[in-house]
Amino acid sequence: MFGAERTRTLLGPVDPARTVAVAPPPVSAGELIDRAGATETVGPHRRVRPTRRLVLTAGTLAAAVGAVAVLQPFDRSSPDVPGGAGSTAGSVLVPVSYQFVADPPEAGPQLRALAGAIGDAEYDHLRGRYMYHHTKVWGDPVMTSADGRHHVAFAGETKAWQAADGTGSQINTQLEPQYPDRESRDYWQRNLDSRPAVGTSAAPAMIPLPPTELRPPSADPSALRGLLKVEYGPGAASKEVSALYAQFVIPRATRAAILRVLAEVPGFRWRGRVTDRAGRNGVAVTFDDRENDAQSLLIFDPTTGELLAHERLTLSPVRISAYQVILGTAWTDRVG
Amino acid sequence: MGVRVGPPKKRDEGWFTGLYAAEYANIVRYGLRRLADSDASAELAQEVFVVAWRRRDEVPDRSLPWLYGVARRLLANHWRSRRGAPDVLPVAGADLARVAGSSGADTTVGIADVRAALAVLSELDQEILRLIGWEELTVSEAAQVLGCSRATAAVRLHRARGRLAEAMSDQPTPSPHRPVLVTTREEL
Repeated sequence: MFGAERTRTLLGPVDPARTVAVAPPPVSAGELIDRAGATETVGPHRRVRPTRRLVLTAGTLAAAVGAVAVLQPFDRSSPDVPGGAGSTAGSVLVPVSYQFVADPPEAGPQLRALAGAIGDAEYDHLRGRYMYHHTKVWGDPVMTSADGRHHVAFAGETKAWQAADGTGSQINTQLEPQYPDRESRDYWQRNLDSRPAVGTSAAPAMIPLPPTELRPPSADPSALRGLLKVEYGPGAASKEVSALYAQFVIPRATRAAILRVLAEVPGFRWRGRVTDRAGRNGVAVTFDDRENDAQSLLIFDPTTGELLAHERLTLSPVRISAYQVILGTAWTDRVG
Repeated sequence: MGVRVGPPKKRDEGWFTGLYAAEYANIVRYGLRRLADSDASAELAQEVFVVAWRRRDEVPDRSLPWLYGVARRLLANHWRSRRGAPDVLPVAGADLARVAGSSGADTTVGIADVRAALAVLSELDQEILRLIGWEELTVSEAAQVLGCSRATAAVRLHRARGRLAEAMSDQPTPSPHRPVLVTTREEL
């Protein structure tokens, strides 16, 4: 009797791929969709390219990470995606595809080159009383099942208008649940009782911001090194850069100075071109903190040097821990 | 593990992204087991998912056998186009080149015998054994990959196992022909 189980028992030990670590995909799912569209000649699925394509990718190699999500376009539904953004089913977050996956070069030279090449951002030509930031975050907090295997967190969107004295307003919107892996999604879709009413018409509350002393960062390298806590290493610096960009409207000279300061921090690796969760082109650096099983990812706009996203992942397994995507930054006089 | 019945669920980019994330590594491994090159395996996997997107309404919920089937046909097309070329990879060579730890732990006589015996089987025998033993599909799923009925797949498995056992008992008789990864009309 030659059953399937006996076959596996016999052949399993000679499986040449069983223990092979598969590198992250060199291209994202979005790129494959584009490729399919570029070569598709017949069939019912001629794809209308969304104005902002979904971001995705996948991957899993200890050395690489970056994580991206299954991204719905944040600002509009793509015409060929039923349901659009905000599905209650939620998304499985997958890693960002890096241009340089294996043996990425040191980031210093590339960051310095980027610093010398950036141009004005749109907001460099704006004026206004308020600094406006539109961000999307995920990963704080993460809910974990009792057995520790399944994780879920709700994505959240924040729009904040803050004046130089700290006052202003903020709107927080809870979005769909997102999961670091498919198993978590399957588990929590069975067990998550109180899903948020995504897409309901209830307007989120406008939260007043109290006065706070805000000190915009200068372009002075020494001051920036302190502000970014570079003495604590690339992980800390990544977090501080992210916090800085989420609170201030950073002028061009300071953006360049930040890049130069980061270039001096040992440990950053250059990951080359990436696509962030909002479908934007970017360039990325990462820092692998193996002692803490974590990777920090920063994605910058290649033309303006703005920070587009900051993500944290675990290295083993490669799994996203948290992300922040900065969707919009501006000066404005108008709240709301 | 039955075949999905009824209309497929929503087939949007989110679905595709999840599918890609979940199954990419499996498809790469499928390629690694049949090719000697990791880059080629990655390329194969990409092509599989390009097909999956184009034909997304056909992809069943239990998608892996379907994806393996696409990979198998892409490989068949590739090899068909190269038939006659002198550098077609012997399957056995491809497999043996990729065996983890060939320098040590797995060099026991038994494992070596299994490998060598597998290498002398026909491609079709090898494929059903690989699908069951390595891809860990059920017989029904393997049938889906091979494009045959479950009963046919079960019979193929039975016969392949018999021939594998025979080949193992014949060790170390060398095979007069190292099989290459070509497919027959029957299996396509």
